[in-house]
Amino acid sequence: MGLILPKQTLSRRKLLQWSSFVGGSFLLNGCSSSWGGSQINQWTEPLNQTIQQLMVSQRSVPEFAANQIEPNSLLINSFNGVPDIDLKTYRLRISGEVKNPLQLNLGEIQALPMTSMIIRHICVEGWAAIVQWGGIRLSDLIKLAQPNEDAKYVYFKSADGYYESWNLAASLHPQTLLAYQKNGEPLPIENGAPLRLASPIKLGYKQSKWVTEVILTKQLMTKQGYWEDRGYEWFAGL
Amino acid sequence: MKEVKESIKKPKAPKQDLLAKAFHWINIVSLLIMTSSGLRIYNANPVFGGREGMHLSGTFLLGDGLADGRVWHFAAMWIYAINLLIYGLYIFITKRWKNRFATSKDFKAVQASANEKRKIFAGHKIVYTVIIPILLLAIVSGVVMYKPAQLHWLANLFGSWQVLRTVHFLTIPIVLGFTFVHSLLALKFGGIRLVKSMFV
Repeated sequence: MGLILPKQTLSRRKLLQWSSFVGGSFLLNGCSSSWGGSQINQWTEPLNQTIQQLMVSQRSVPEFAANQIEPNSLLINSFNGVPDIDLKTYRLRISGEVKNPLQLNLGEIQALPMTSMIIRHICVEGWAAIVQWGGIRLSDLIKLAQPNEDAKYVYFKSADGYYESWNLAASLHPQTLLAYQKNGEPLPIENGAPLRLASPIKLGYKQSKWVTEVILTKQLMTKQGYWEDRGYEWFAGL
Repeated sequence: MKEVKESIKKPKAPKQDLLAKAFHWINIVSLLIMTSSGLRIYNANPVFGGREGMHLSGTFLLGDGLADGRVWHFAAMWIYAINLLIYGLYIFITKRWKNRFATSKDFKAVQASANEKRKIFAGHKIVYTVIIPILLLAIVSGVVMYKPAQLHWLANLFGSWQVLRTVHFLTIPIVLGFTFVHSLLALKFGGIRLVKSMFV
């Protein structure tokens, strides 16, 4: 069964690809006012992702000095405003492919060792800001939850309905944090308080704000992330 | 007698290597894709002025929005870069760089040569020699913006993020200006026949 299943999914995907060609979507895209790149993406995205994965190392990215922080450059982006979160009942849940599912309140999270880093936050739109983030290492949290051997991906759910998925290696990177501090101050709500992702190795849209759930999975689901499901690149490595 | 006269008036049409022709074609097409998708990315947050900055008209831009513009940009980058690499290997292996590209002699000729044709030729050689580092700068500044964390040592050379974006953007007007001057000098030196010889 385990052998047959991947074969089936592959042929089904092939079939869908073919049907989209036969259905003329390729031609339709070519004729619309602006050309769609989704067909090209099928060819170049696997190549680009492979190269990106080869470039990434688990070593820390060199950080910036405190006087290089650009407090006004960090713009606020959100797909749906700012959610209402009751800090008293707030819990961070870690579940999925773990031996020890966890539920932590804010006091328990802040009792874990804090890491501070000054990194460049880069938005897919083209702007960037040097920011200090303070918080717990996501890898510490995942270790506490004792991941299963076959866990490969990490999903993040947010209080505002935003969702994201990361490869496990990037999630375990020493500078991938669940942050509760920005530029030396408690994290403002519009920047994702009480807890948000922060990392120098992924584009801004990967760094979910208002994180409430961390779910380890064996596979990548059909839904890969709010912006990914709207055509943006999944890996989005820096 | 008439035949001889004609053969003097019309020397043999210039011939270009297939690889030189292929380079020119692929370079122009890939740069058109890079520019039109690159300006689509520019529009998501204009290099000059940010969100309040001037946005460009979408009519000539490639890609349906930012995500699509990025797809085109990161697809065509391979064609553009590999084409330039093959061309580099070609001028290196055939030793073309020795006599087809500018040397100190050309700088002297531009200043002092009495022969007008020699002057244009030397000037033209300098122009298309100088564009090579610009074409490479477009790749380097682009790759640094694509992978600034992994290539942090290169990113540091550019100073700030704004400098990096500006440098990458400026390669567009520089290459456009070059294309104009390059075509003009080729026309002046060898007429439309010389320009045509590079493409057909």
